Amino acid sequence: MFGKSAVQRLLLVAMALATVFLVDIDEARAEYGDVVINNYSDAAGMRPAIFPHWFHRVRFRCKVCHADLGFKFKAGGNEINMVKIIDGQFCGACHNGELAWSVENCNLCHSGKPGTPTQVHESTVQKLAPAALQKK
Amino acid sequence: MKLERIILACVSLAGFANTTLAADAGKDLYTKTCAVCHAAGIAGAPRYGNAAEWQPRIATGVARLYSNAIQGTSKGMPPKGGNAEASDGDIKAAVDYMLASVKGGAAKPAPAVAAAPAKPAAAAATAAPAAAPTAAVDPSSNTSGVPAADINSFNRLLRPIGKRNPPPVEDGIHDPANDGTLALMAPLAAYGPLPKSLAGNRVNWVKAIEENKINPRWDRNDQAATPVVIDLNIVREVKGSMPDVVYPHKQHTEWLDCSNCHPAIFVPQKGANAISMAAILLGEKCGVCHGKVAFPVSECRLCHSKKKDFRPAQAQAAAAPK
Ligand code: HEC
Ligand code: HEC
Ligand code: HEC
Ligand code: HEC
Ligand code: HEC
Ligand code: HEC
Ligand code: HEC
Repeated sequence: MFGKSAVQRLLLVAMALATVFLVDIDEARAEYGDVVINNYSDAAGMRPAIFPHWFHRVRFRCKVCHADLGFKFKAGGNEINMVKIIDGQFCGACHNGELAWSVENCNLCHSGKPGTPTQVHESTVQKLAPAALQKK
Repeated sequence: MKLERIILACVSLAGFANTTLAADAGKDLYTKTCAVCHAAGIAGAPRYGNAAEWQPRIATGVARLYSNAIQGTSKGMPPKGGNAEASDGDIKAAVDYMLASVKGGAAKPAPAVAAAPAKPAAAAATAAPAAAPTAAVDPSSNTSGVPAADINSFNRLLRPIGKRNPPPVEDGIHDPANDGTLALMAPLAAYGPLPKSLAGNRVNWVKAIEENKINPRWDRNDQAATPVVIDLNIVREVKGSMPDVVYPHKQHTEWLDCSNCHPAIFVPQKGANAISMAAILLGEKCGVCHGKVAFPVSECRLCHSKKKDFRPAQAQAAAAPK
């Protein structure tokens, strides 16, 4: 059936696409793929951690982190904390003073503006979200 | 609008009516920069003309509103609304313009409104010499920003080149007050030699590897390990006029392990997965990566790359039973 639902779906896509284009403006400006991780940081009085994909993908393929080290494809979805990092998991698999500078450089990772929520910057979803809010 | 500009220029030449100038500058900047969020209340921005939303903010003092508009807030107000070229005076004028829209809303705005005309006059004393030339130069130099008022302006809603790939200190998510932020690398310092693209990081990552501009490790420690690349294209036919999608395993397996996609995102069997643009836009299927880290969804042609030999009769026949 090429019924109502198909038309509705196309409409949704068209609207969403329009938003994706329209909203390539000033509101979010961070580098594409920068991830803010803020499950615990704010509450613990630290600045949120920021993970720059562009910087790491120049040095490592996605497989290293997302298959070998087990990072799930979900911002904030890995329940990273400092104990795990010091034990050599997640960021700590590399930020160990051998492969990359080690954990005492708190401010290089914890560099976000306080209060910035967990999110992937410049993502389609981030751009669509304001539109969704707007409709309400 | 032209006429207004000329009048405006005359007025400013006469060194007269600073307030009018400030008010116009405020309105201009509002439409150009602030309205994007403050018209509809995006991300919780107080709306133009909505007294209830401005009320509690006005109560904290107009001076704080000015400084928050200039410096930004952690709750989503970008410094200067993201328009770094605007002068402090212009920003204040834009704030005044928004405040004027809610005057007479309740008892509280009264002092704010009383302050509003006074402020630009005071600000104008210092800011006007700076503001006037900007207004005069604006129409001729399109590079500096897009004059929203000019009906012939191009790319009104696009990000100006200077705003792409900003260094961490200016990107709106890093805390400029953090010493570590200053030690971080600016994207453009690394992108120089890399092949360009039109979206995302504005780097063509596929070419960057092909041309050996970068050689990211496949193993964390072993620089010599190489990926298991398979060259298997999967063509997904698309209903309607859009070209068919060619999904290339080659470019993906340069970066990713089979287990990154199979079986969690895609069952490894041609045609076994229902994929749609709606799902992709919502961050599922191809959208798990495209639109977040891999090139964004705006690049239709990279995925929809196979022209169909368009046979309308057959296309209709195919669409009808579905
Ligand atoms: C390699 C990057 C990195 C470095 C270096 C680092 N952190 Fe973290 N830290 C993280 C990440 C990622 C999280 C998880 C953030 C979240 O979800 O809020 C985190 C979470 C935290 C938390 C909250 C969770 C918990 O474990 O209690 C605290 C507190 C913290 N870090 C303190 C520090 C301090 C202090 C230092 C310096 C000694 C430091 N961090 C260095 C990446 C880092
Ligand atoms: C150095 C490690 C590393 C590399 C290399 C890496 N990533 Fe990530 N990726 C992360 C981290 C860390 C997160 C955030 C996880 C969290 O917040 O718990 C993440 C999150 C993601 C997400 C989730 C976004 C969302 O929807 O929330 C996607 C998609 C992603 N990465 C794709 C990629 C792709 C594609 C590549 C290769 C081009 C890649 N990553 C390379 C570490 C890495
Ligand atoms: C990207 C969206 C966005 C743009 C563009 C934007 N604002 Fe905002 N603005 C916000 C949000 C969100 C808030 C609410 C933040 C908060 O409560 O801290 C806000 C709050 C404010 C406030 C109130 C601050 C306070 O202390 O309560 C002022 C004043 C303001 N904006 C002025 C401006 C001006 C002037 C411009 C244009 C030059 C502008 N904004 C452009 C999103 C935006
Ligand atoms: C696969 C290894 C690996 C993992 C996992 C990893 N990093 Fe890194 N990271 C590196 C390397 C290598 C560098 C470069 C170090 C150098 O310049 O000496 C780096 C640098 C950085 C930088 C500095 C970028 C700059 O501008 O100089 C930040 C910030 C950072 N990592 C954050 C993180 C966070 C947060 C995590 C965990 C969520 C993480 N990294 C996980 C390898 C890794
Ligand atoms: C980026 C995601 C991704 C990665 C990584 C990936 N695949 Fe696939 N694979 C797909 C998609 C998408 C399809 C098509 C599914 C469909 O048409 O419904 C597919 C289909 C397949 C098929 C079925 C082909 C057919 O004709 O039925 C096989 C076999 C397969 N993949 C093997 C692999 C192997 C082996 C690897 C690792 C070397 C791998 N894939 C890596 C996304 C991926
Ligand atoms: C697990 C993450 C992931 C998924 C899922 C994924 N891709 Fe990709 N894709 C990438 C990465 C990483 C690249 C490398 C280019 C980049 O990062 O911009 C890439 C590149 C491509 C390219 C090559 C473009 C070129 O310039 O040659 C095409 C085409 C493509 N993807 C289509 C798809 C389609 C269609 C799907 C869904 C069926 C899909 N991708 C799913 C991560 C992914
Ligand atoms: C990451 C790859 C990718 C990008 C980028 C992409 N598409 Fe698609 N598109 C797909 C896939 C996969 C399908 C599903 C094909 C199928 O039915 O198997 C699809 C389907 C469609 C359809 C058919 C209706 C539907 O929802 O299934 C339309 C129309 C469409 N795309 C339009 C666009 C437009 C317009 C753009 C650019 C703004 C775009 N696409 C960008 C991968 C992509």
